[in-house]
Amino acid sequence: MKEVFYVENLSLYYRDFAALKDIQLAIYKNQVTALIGPSGCGKSTFIRCLNRMNDLIPEARMTGCVRFDGEECQVSGYDVIGLRKKVGMVFQKPNPFPMSIFDNVAYGPRQQGLKNKEKLKVVVERALKQAALYDEVYDRLNDSALTLSGGQQQRLCIARALAMEPEVILMDEPTSALDPIATQRIETLIEDLKKEYTIVIVTHSMQQAARISDYTAFFYMGELIEYDKTDVIFSLPKHKQTEDYVTGRFG
Amino acid sequence: MSRRNIAQLLLDGTTYFATLLSIIALGLIFVYVFREGGHLLSVNLIRSDYHARNFVGTLREESPGSFPIESFEGDDLFPVERYGIVLQQTQDLAGDTVIRVYYVHEASPLRQLNNQDPTTNERTISLQEGMILRRVSYQEHPTSLTSRGASMMATDMNDSQREIREVLFSLEGGGIRGSVITTVYLIFLTLFIALPFGILTAIYFNEFAPVNKVTKLMRNFIETLTGVPSIIYGLLGITVFVPLTVRLTPASNANLIAGALTLSVILLPVIIRTTEEALKVVPNDHRWASLALGANKTQTTFKVVLKQALPGILTATFLGIGRVIGESAALIFVLGTAIRDQVRIFEPSTSLAVHIWSMMTDEPANIALSSTIALIILLIVLVLNVFIKVTVWAFNRKGSY
Repeated sequence: MKEVFYVENLSLYYRDFAALKDIQLAIYKNQVTALIGPSGCGKSTFIRCLNRMNDLIPEARMTGCVRFDGEECQVSGYDVIGLRKKVGMVFQKPNPFPMSIFDNVAYGPRQQGLKNKEKLKVVVERALKQAALYDEVYDRLNDSALTLSGGQQQRLCIARALAMEPEVILMDEPTSALDPIATQRIETLIEDLKKEYTIVIVTHSMQQAARISDYTAFFYMGELIEYDKTDVIFSLPKHKQTEDYVTGRFG
Repeated sequence: MSRRNIAQLLLDGTTYFATLLSIIALGLIFVYVFREGGHLLSVNLIRSDYHARNFVGTLREESPGSFPIESFEGDDLFPVERYGIVLQQTQDLAGDTVIRVYYVHEASPLRQLNNQDPTTNERTISLQEGMILRRVSYQEHPTSLTSRGASMMATDMNDSQREIREVLFSLEGGGIRGSVITTVYLIFLTLFIALPFGILTAIYFNEFAPVNKVTKLMRNFIETLTGVPSIIYGLLGITVFVPLTVRLTPASNANLIAGALTLSVILLPVIIRTTEEALKVVPNDHRWASLALGANKTQTTFKVVLKQALPGILTATFLGIGRVIGESAALIFVLGTAIRDQVRIFEPSTSLAVHIWSMMTDEPANIALSSTIALIILLIVLVLNVFIKVTVWAFNRKGSY
């Protein structure tokens, strides 16, 4: 299987606190990789290393190596904008811009200089269809995105990321602010998206990880305890800590 | 009653009392200003010149006739049948006692007077309705003056013993048109200078500047500037901006440009702070979302952050306008106190607030007109505030920008 990301000896410090310690793992193409672990274990920090969102935190300091498509992407001088174009991100809380639905999805392509209305329309429509939102909003694309429900807003954020035609989509607990029905829709969507995209998802729900992911990484106190195929992690974990966590004995 | 209840009652009481007191204070100011100056408030006041044009004329025919005047009702009206006019004892726009020409008969000899003012070319001038009669002098008789009243002037003019030697009359003056225009100029010039600088500075501080000792110090410095009395900015204006404008422009003295520059400096800290507050409210989520989509920092700032901060920036703008309208101390030095009817940006003039200052330093102080201008300023500020509320409300309701 082709590796999209290859992470080696990755450590990250907030001032003196080590949020990630010596992480080593590979993310495989067209697979769903779930990152699980208790709060504060570093899984969100890790996912933010992949599209260099940690650059925005002034006190974060990183060592080690992250390769994207074989190229080291943490070195200074690397095209961060280009990286973020290829690695989309969906956040925990739905965060559509206070603009119209259309403008939200068209935002990314527009910033890259796409002005042609017809082309934008095609891009937006395709992204909304991929995010399984088109049927619900096709007749009100000019309405404010804030009129949508929470679940719809989150799918809009996914559509917004898809409009950039990325290779990878990072999802940071995308369903934690949603109700069960909206959660289910997003999970179905992830299943569909997997065919074309590589997905890395941080989740608090073990069931969700078990349902949708192909690979699972278990983080604990900034360390990667175990990384394997999902069914292995949930049925035959090698480490006791993993077993305790996935069986719900702590966390 | 328990101690807790008493404490609650005490707290509630002080809250209500304080609220009541401040509302009463504001109400009293408004009532006072309205009582003193409400009667002078008119569209004419805003449209008229301050300096009245004077006319001096002599009669063409030696002997006046007799002109029947239809009856005019009113205690303040005094007919002069010998010359076919009716005089009115009244007040001008500035509230001074004057004698106004209420009616002029079609055949009145005062309609055709020889111009005695050598500075103008007109040969014929005419006394018209609405003009102010200042002085009528006679051959071998004492002059009729405004100060002795319209009744006395009418009696004197009707006296067949007296032959008119010269008539002095003027258009009605005392209007505030010049000051209104100056204020409008000041608002636009000041905002034109202060808004771009203020907004861009706020963006730099909130979006781009690193958080370190230097930027913190600069922020504190700006905060301090908000509290500096405006007369000190006036001094800055007269030592820096007036010489600067005199050197670089045709101005030779205090002028409007220097006034606008001084006001811009006063406004800058207000605009920077208000805009920064507006930028801070924009959730970081939106910045991250934009950056994660491959937009760069500038695009994020201008397309996402600034758009959402727009209501706050509008508020800053309106606050700025209010400040420009209300500022007087700084402008007295920089813009001058001479009331002008012809406003030019390289010459001194007065804003509405300084107009009040001028009126109050007159001898005697013109409290009535000052109150009227105060009323106008209060009304503008009130309208501006309502406008801010409505705009912000409209923006929030729309929720799309």
